[in-house]
Amino acid sequence: MNPILKIENVSKTYTGHKALDDVSLEIPQGSIYGLLGPNGAGKTTLIRVVNRITIPDCGKVIFDGHEITIDDIFSIGYMPEERGLYKKMRVGDQAMFFARLKGMEITKANKKLHEWFDRLEMSDWWGKKIEDLSKGMAQKVQFICTVVHEPKLLIFDEPFSGFDPINADILKREILGLRDRGATVIFSTHNMESVEEICDDITLINKSHNILSGSVDEIRRKAGGNTFLVTYKDLEQPLDELLSGKAECIGLPEGIIGGYTQQKVHIQSDDYVRDVIALLNGSSRLRSFQEVIPSMNDIFIRAVNGTL
Amino acid sequence: MNKTGIIIGREFWERVRKKSFIITTILTPILMIGLCLAPTLMMLHDTSDVRKIVVLDETEGQFVGRSLQSDKSVEYQLLENISRKEASAKYSDEKSAFGILWIGSDILEHTDHIQLISNASSSLMLEEKISDQVSEILRTEKLRSYNIDGLDKIIAESNIRVSLSTMKNDGSGDEENMEKTSTAASMVFSMILGMLLYMFIILYGQQVLTTVIEEKQSRVLDVMVTSCSPFQMMMGKILGIAAVAAVQVLIWGLLITIASTILTPMIPVEAMDATSGLSAATAKFGNILFILKLFLCLLLYIVGGFLLYASLYAAAGSSVDSAQDAQQFSTIILLPIVMGVIVMMSVYNNPDSGLAFWCSMIPFTSPIVMMARIPFDVPDWQIILSLLILYASFILTTWLAARIYRIGIFMHGRKPSWKDLGNWLRTK
Repeated sequence: MNPILKIENVSKTYTGHKALDDVSLEIPQGSIYGLLGPNGAGKTTLIRVVNRITIPDCGKVIFDGHEITIDDIFSIGYMPEERGLYKKMRVGDQAMFFARLKGMEITKANKKLHEWFDRLEMSDWWGKKIEDLSKGMAQKVQFICTVVHEPKLLIFDEPFSGFDPINADILKREILGLRDRGATVIFSTHNMESVEEICDDITLINKSHNILSGSVDEIRRKAGGNTFLVTYKDLEQPLDELLSGKAECIGLPEGIIGGYTQQKVHIQSDDYVRDVIALLNGSSRLRSFQEVIPSMNDIFIRAVNGTL
Repeated sequence: MNKTGIIIGREFWERVRKKSFIITTILTPILMIGLCLAPTLMMLHDTSDVRKIVVLDETEGQFVGRSLQSDKSVEYQLLENISRKEASAKYSDEKSAFGILWIGSDILEHTDHIQLISNASSSLMLEEKISDQVSEILRTEKLRSYNIDGLDKIIAESNIRVSLSTMKNDGSGDEENMEKTSTAASMVFSMILGMLLYMFIILYGQQVLTTVIEEKQSRVLDVMVTSCSPFQMMMGKILGIAAVAAVQVLIWGLLITIASTILTPMIPVEAMDATSGLSAATAKFGNILFILKLFLCLLLYIVGGFLLYASLYAAAGSSVDSAQDAQQFSTIILLPIVMGVIVMMSVYNNPDSGLAFWCSMIPFTSPIVMMARIPFDVPDWQIILSLLILYASFILTTWLAARIYRIGIFMHGRKPSWKDLGNWLRTK
């Protein structure tokens, strides 16, 4: 599938430090794309480059096959990390204002906004002022302001910060829903659980470089590297000997529970997986055989530390 | 509806619906009317307090004391057969008399032989009142001593004041149709314009500055710059606030007109005399077309002047992060207006001088200076050119403000230097 957004060799230097150094990535259409990275890695700068808030020193941003224009920017939905709403303005007026700025007709904007407010159980807030809402409530308003005009591309900077787990779940559900209706979603986050749950693809940025890109499944599988946890007892010969040539143990057994030994093994090739299971099954009482996929949290830490 | 319109709508309705707007809109006319009525009412109140002054007149036949006329505020009581010493002993407190007015026997020769020995603190107004009346009596007495027939009539007839009207000679010889000009009226008009402009800028220009800073502080700016162009935003903000100003002034005008219609019968005739001078001055304009032209120019210059200064405030707001930082700019922005007022004064002496011409072309001073020149018959091309420059400068400054705003976002959290400001303007 054609990527909806391509970032080609983008660099940006601020006085004194390099925020982005030759970053390239492709965002597939209709995907949820996570931009990960430690604080100060350059995620927000990258988002601001895409939005043309910040002009890069060099490099290109290609949107839908052409270099991104200001009109493209006006049509996308963007929720900045530092949420911005007019504090003295009423919620409903504010949502209408942003919806109309994004080009919606009054009647359509009104209808769509009420649908969203009903769905997120916020209808009572319509006449309240932003300054009377809690931080989480204001963020929900901002979320609606970002998505109401049904843009093809949505960019959320740290969408889950400041949300309680219940609201974070509602937000995840809505983001998935937006993707299912055809939108492409880019978001930056530190929240690795949310990445595992909803991201299709990710890019990991560290120290202004793109250090890891790809689909979440692939990355985890690769990082896992055919590692399996086997649980067995009454093995007739040492495990290393049994599996020699096909797999080797990783470290010492993880533990012994109820007579069963747990041991991580690394299988040299995908082709041997069935053989290993057969061997184990034939010479021990095999209780479980489970692929060990590292969490994104592990991958994040290992990638940033350079041990992946 | 385009985006500028949507932003104008937001700025307008958010302001108009505020309690503070409603309160100031209603209170200001009340305060203004109160301010106009207060002196009159105080005057009325003052007259109820009658001051009794006993007069010790030592002139022959007591001609001064007998001629003194009591009025609402002063009551004269002539003393007879009493020495100065006895009088001051008898009328030594405020209850018996406000004071003793002593008039020496040789007052006609020695005009300083008149004294007010008061028991309470005297006022300048009272002293002037007494000396005016006594001077008048003495003058009449002196004239009478020449024994002229029909003196009263002569005095009444000799009270002459001329009323000079000026006309612009158009060479046709047809004086009926020559434009009448009036320095007094033009001064009044340009003064009003200068004051209005100054008031508008103080009241509303500052709001433009705050609203631009508000975007930055509430961080709405990130969403705004990804939704509309900074020029649309600046234009929307400036025009939105201008619309608020227009509506507020309209309501004030209406309220004041209604209130003054109701209140006019309550204002004493004396107080009305003071204001009638102004209407007499405007009446001198004659020619209705000229008045129309004057009002049209007044409107165009006040709107243009306001927009230009508002856009300067927008530019100032764009280059700073907080209201405190903006303070230094506000003062600088007001300087050209003060300069305009100073030049305006010199325009009355020579409306066609080089200084007057150039200051009526430079957009920062043109609204005030050109308005001062118009009653002296300025060629139309000059007015049109000056208006074009004014409105073009407004657009240019707004564009500049948008540019500073847009590029200033890079620098968020850091104060820009003058060098940065220059760089921003050149950046694509």
